Amino acid sequence: MAASISGLLKPWTPRVFLVRWSRYNPYYLEPEVSKEAYSRPETELSAEEKEQRELKALRPIKAATSGVSSSVFDDPVISKFINMMMEHGNKVLAREIMTQTLENIKKKQVEKYHKASEGEREAIECNPYTIFHQALENCKPVVGLASIQKGGKYYQVPIPLTDNRRRFLAMKWMITECRDNKHRRTHMYEKLSQELLAAFGKEGNVMKKKYELHKMAEANRAYAHYRWW
Amino acid sequence: MLQVTHVRSLHSGGRRQQQEAVAVDSEPEPFSVFRTQESDPACHSETHIGQYYTLPSAHIRTLFPSGLPWRYQQQVKTFNEACIMVRQPSLEVISYLKKTDYSKPALRYLFYGQKGTGKTISLCHAVHFCYTQGWLVLHIPDAHQWVKNCKELLPSSYNASRFDQPLQATTWLRNFRLTNERFLSKIKTKHRYMWTKREFTEEGSLLGELVDQGISRVKSSSDVVGAVMKELRLQSGQPGSDFHLAVAVDGVNGLWGRSTIKKEDRSAVDPEELTLIYNLRKLMRNDWTGGAIIATLSQTGSLYTPKSAYLPQELLGERGFDSMDPFIPVSVPNYSEKEFESCYLYYMDRHWLQHPQSER
Repeated sequence: MAASISGLLKPWTPRVFLVRWSRYNPYYLEPEVSKEAYSRPETELSAEEKEQRELKALRPIKAATSGVSSSVFDDPVISKFINMMMEHGNKVLAREIMTQTLENIKKKQVEKYHKASEGEREAIECNPYTIFHQALENCKPVVGLASIQKGGKYYQVPIPLTDNRRRFLAMKWMITECRDNKHRRTHMYEKLSQELLAAFGKEGNVMKKKYELHKMAEANRAYAHYRWW
Repeated sequence: MLQVTHVRSLHSGGRRQQQEAVAVDSEPEPFSVFRTQESDPACHSETHIGQYYTLPSAHIRTLFPSGLPWRYQQQVKTFNEACIMVRQPSLEVISYLKKTDYSKPALRYLFYGQKGTGKTISLCHAVHFCYTQGWLVLHIPDAHQWVKNCKELLPSSYNASRFDQPLQATTWLRNFRLTNERFLSKIKTKHRYMWTKREFTEEGSLLGELVDQGISRVKSSSDVVGAVMKELRLQSGQPGSDFHLAVAVDGVNGLWGRSTIKKEDRSAVDPEELTLIYNLRKLMRNDWTGGAIIATLSQTGSLYTPKSAYLPQELLGERGFDSMDPFIPVSVPNYSEKEFESCYLYYMDRHWLQHPQSER
């Protein structure tokens, strides 16, 4: 299927019908949404990037999803978080919760800023995007555990994780923590902002979960050679 | 308060250098282009349009225990100060208030405009002016709160066909007492009021006692509200009284609309059958002297009105328009270019705009 020639571009029906993933012919390229990528002059690009640009002029490009935009406020990490929070396809509600969370974080930090004395002001971070990214970074585990069968028994083996998997785990923990372990009557944006601010300061339940995972991995160090990849 | 001024002077040091590098107009004030030193609304003039002035926190606690919009209250909490922009509509109303002849019947001013243009804040600006001039302020934060979501509805003790709302009446009386402390011991009632067979308020007793009576005896609080309004209306224009009365109503179109309160047999209550609304409508008639009535229309809290309606004719309806006629309509437009820039600079100064792109 990957070896289709450009003559057979459209229409293309694969042998096995894919229901969930992208139905595009693999010949299509991904769209580049940010304006900065196109505003760089020819001189700044390396040879590979020049080749990429020429390729883009020749090959067909996939349509961009409605979740991305070329605005300055578009952030792929935030979009991914919104998608993970979304239930039953209600993207409007998920986005609303996200904007309220960011606004809430900014409110709390700006209030703290204005009440603090001069010396403490520089230490207070007010930008909710940096807080969000830093909190997520703090929550990402370094090693994960995999269940590997050896000699009839299953062992929890520490394995390295890819970047995507780490980001996914951090976001998943954050969302499940806020959904399950908080008081029933608080709003989701309130719970999320509290948890994100705690993670930014390296405390809170999500950090505890990450440290527990690290401890388990450290305890099972002896089985590390069961991994074959 | 001390901390706020300390903070501001240190901020303006850095800000002033930036402003001098960028802005053309050089003002001798030590603060930026978007702020003004004048915290007294009486001294605001055309030159201050587009600039923010700070409301003293003591005034906010007394004047607006619940008069400000919710989002604005949160903003005050976040920024640790309350700043209002001086704009053309409120300046117009304040200038009219300064020049009124108080021996003529009260004039009615009505703020109208699209959603979110600043009608409530203009009303608060005018009310702050009245307060600083020493007037008695009768501020109803939202008339729509009285016609919807009523938890307790009692049949009125005074008139069998009307209904009382004790909860809303007591909250309003408490706020009224907080706002007008100094008048409570000065004004005396002119009539005798019987609350029950044994409780009555004598002629010539203080207004403070009347208000306390209403707060302690919850059942008769709506009637107390009516009595307070009647007393103030009668006494305000008289040569003996030394106070001016300012009636400020937000969401005045709720008085003449429909209500969502239901009687026990599931039929809707007409606003006229509510004691509070009935007495308020009597206040809104301009048969009294010595003060002014300032009101705002509001579509957001109103019931059974379309979202696109903002003109007085549409929101007040026929009955409302006929009762309010004649009035002085004041349109509140969206921010102009200068006001928008001033708002932008204010948010930048308060560190509210955090995105690196907003530094342009």
